[in-house]
Amino acid sequence: MRKASPKTTAPARAADPALQSLFDVHEATLPNGLQVRLLANHLAPVVSLYTFFNVGSRNERPGITGISHLFEHMMFNGAKKYGPKMFDKTLESNGGSSNAYTSHDMTVYYDDFASDALETVLDLESDRMRSLRISQEMLTSEREVVKEERSVRMDNDIGGMMGEELDSLVYKAHAYRWPVIGWLADIEAITREDCQAFFRTYYAPNNAMLYIAGDIDPKKTLALVRRYYGDIPRGPAPLPVINAEPEQRGERRATVRHPAQSPAVMIGYRGPPARDEDTLALDVAQYVLTKGEGSRLTRSMVYEQKVVVGVGLDWGWRIDPGTVLFFLELKPGADPQKAEASLYTELEKLARDGITDRELQKALNNLRSDHLRELGTNNGRAHAMGNYEALLGDWRHVLTLPSAYAAVTSEQVKAAVAKYLLPERRSVVTLLPAPSAES
Amino acid sequence: MASRKKSRTPKSSPRRAAKKPAARATKAAPRKSASRKAAPVTSSASRALVFPTLHESTTSSGLRVVAAERGPLPMVSMRLVIRAGSATDLAGKHGIADFAGRLLRRGTRRLSAEAIDEAVEFVGASLGVGVGEDTLSVAITTPAEHFAQMLGIMGQLVKEPSFPESEVLDARERALAQFANDLDEPSVIADRALVQALWGNHPYGHDVSGSAKTVATFTRDDVVRFHHERMGPKVAMLVVVGAVDPKRVAAAAEEAFAGWTGGPDAPLVIPPLAKVAKAGKVIVVDKPDQTQSQVRMGGPGYRTGHEDYFPSTAMNVALGGGFTSRLMNEVRVNRGLTYGIGCWFDAMNAAGIFALSTFTKTESTREIIDVSLAEIAKMRDSGIKPGELRDAQAYMGGLYPLRTETNESIASSIADIRLNGLGDDWVMNFRDRLRAVTPKQVAAVAKKYCFAEPPAIVVLGKADAVKKQLRGLGPISVVQASEYE
Repeated sequence: MRKASPKTTAPARAADPALQSLFDVHEATLPNGLQVRLLANHLAPVVSLYTFFNVGSRNERPGITGISHLFEHMMFNGAKKYGPKMFDKTLESNGGSSNAYTSHDMTVYYDDFASDALETVLDLESDRMRSLRISQEMLTSEREVVKEERSVRMDNDIGGMMGEELDSLVYKAHAYRWPVIGWLADIEAITREDCQAFFRTYYAPNNAMLYIAGDIDPKKTLALVRRYYGDIPRGPAPLPVINAEPEQRGERRATVRHPAQSPAVMIGYRGPPARDEDTLALDVAQYVLTKGEGSRLTRSMVYEQKVVVGVGLDWGWRIDPGTVLFFLELKPGADPQKAEASLYTELEKLARDGITDRELQKALNNLRSDHLRELGTNNGRAHAMGNYEALLGDWRHVLTLPSAYAAVTSEQVKAAVAKYLLPERRSVVTLLPAPSAES
Repeated sequence: MASRKKSRTPKSSPRRAAKKPAARATKAAPRKSASRKAAPVTSSASRALVFPTLHESTTSSGLRVVAAERGPLPMVSMRLVIRAGSATDLAGKHGIADFAGRLLRRGTRRLSAEAIDEAVEFVGASLGVGVGEDTLSVAITTPAEHFAQMLGIMGQLVKEPSFPESEVLDARERALAQFANDLDEPSVIADRALVQALWGNHPYGHDVSGSAKTVATFTRDDVVRFHHERMGPKVAMLVVVGAVDPKRVAAAAEEAFAGWTGGPDAPLVIPPLAKVAKAGKVIVVDKPDQTQSQVRMGGPGYRTGHEDYFPSTAMNVALGGGFTSRLMNEVRVNRGLTYGIGCWFDAMNAAGIFALSTFTKTESTREIIDVSLAEIAKMRDSGIKPGELRDAQAYMGGLYPLRTETNESIASSIADIRLNGLGDDWVMNFRDRLRAVTPKQVAAVAKKYCFAEPPAIVVLGKADAVKKQLRGLGPISVVQASEYE
């Protein structure tokens, strides 16, 4: 498994001057392997704390798909010192709130809180990392909650249904082929023992990174972190994740029939891993194609040709090769083939002629603006540091990303599009409206 | 991704969908996400908040301008708020405010739609038009060095939009397609049904975007008339927050908005809500393909700036706001009936409502309604324990400073304060006023708002299966989902 190993991939680019002064980060590694990053900001009496665990659906196997996400829920259901219901109760009554999410690659927890609650939050967080209690009763009840979540996100949501179908087309061998929330039968089958084994391996401090940003004194905070987390034992090394994905040899297609108002199309291309240089070039391509009303696809497909009512593109960075995903939203009765053809024409044009200097500059301006905006809050700063460290191996990418983008050339963008967005590399899911069961 | 609450990242599902399920939000121009502002939350940390000094000026055209200088990021957020929300839609033209708002950027006397997009988007700025019940807002966030140019464009959008005929026709087509596609979004349709059930014929009683029926009648003349009659400097305010000198803001605003005329001299008066339209009644919205029911319930609340605000907000945290709320505990944690449940007060300028939102598998529809109603009744009858109130106060007080973190959130607070007469000390004294709430005050508001009269109930799902479960809750009427297109 490609774990974040800071320093090995320290970015060579220069730090953005507007950011350098904001990121006076204190770093430490505890003897048990826990990585700690602390960032002071005294603008408001609040703090955000993020814990990143290097585990997601990527680390699962058939039979227990969805365990990373189900487990994320279980982390709120009681540990040795703070029992059932006490995590949220203690946190909220001290002026804090928390949430978490699970992705293909990582599981991420955060707390936003009044700065005088810092020690309480460290007590709460270290308690559950050290000694989570997984009771059968809690597991049974939480499983029902997750089933409702799956139902609302996947079974009663068109985007969810189509995405689930697409992932299993784009990936044949890699764990990215199943939904993060897991298959229903697997969610029902996960046992308490599965959860305990999962906890011992993936929630050990040597598999975790802690980020604290806000109204803190870094020195005192580090002493507190050592006191609360220092005695948590290391865990066994997680099993490596093998990427056995074979080369794709031609277009793949699937159809979803559902009583919907309009057809829709979702198209995915397997891209590079996040650490690949091409990732940045594809970010630029994404901005040229769909960022803003004046972007190529919005202007051409929505406003000029009127073949879709909406077009979206999501290029999500992942540890292993992720998906460049297009979503075409149509109007009732519209022709999905026509919409698809229009998209492919634009992609061919991009692969053939590349982008203009002005388009490149516009994309860079927007990438920088969005990056700065993301860093406007403590929560955004802590999350960004963790996200880049988890995906790229170093939080410093927060500082250098704008200059890394600035080094991307039009040639690279053209080459990346020509390399990844090829007809024989695509997977297509078409939603066709079907009459409702009862009508 | 997957997660415990509602996710910020589309690909992950968060652990819980706690936050109030987007009720009637200020609508962003592309009619998609309807993100409500987060409930005001506050602190046990007693350190004073940092809130920038406000500098005021008025342009020669009569537009009030409020500027606040704030670093450290080299960005500026500006927000032009006009009292021309959906409550001011022209007669028979529900949705025209939202429709006109979206067309502002599709061409002005001097700039084509493409030129506007290019000017804004090239420099890395972003432009959004949002319409809510009370206001139409044009917001731009921009790198600081381009602030004056962006303000100039904002001025053109409201002063001299050209509303090209072809753009009006295309926008109408897209809006109608969107209404059709919305029928595939169970929570959107359920929210829409609740709005109608609560407000009936009140100016707040229709979806901000109108309906397929009204939008189909929109012409360029309607849009021009709305712009001329409803949008003008006397009912607007410009708020600019970020890395820019307030003196420069005043000068740039003068240049950008000079000569802006039109609109009323004073905001239109919206009446209070006389009675909840479908109080005590059950509306079943039939969508036979669903395996879950979306459930909504609501009754009267209060308008912005009402004295009940602080005790009601504290009560709401304990009842259905936070993650340890009574509803979350009984419905999700103890019974596993849902992934998300919440209740909230929606306070608008003239009136407000109190509502609950959740969902569950079809078979549990009645159970989730009964458990929820029982919790609300318990609050109404017995109020809140002192410890529970202290926890709610600490929770909201601790988190309130988060609302002072970004230029956007500060600009939006300033606009709220001024438009609703909340007083300039609102942000600085929020936590003190919250801390002063007593259990007795909470008991009084609970009696008043926790469904003292039976609520209006909306269930969207498989009508065949849920109808028989709902007996005894009030007269039931079944409507097709397509009624809400």
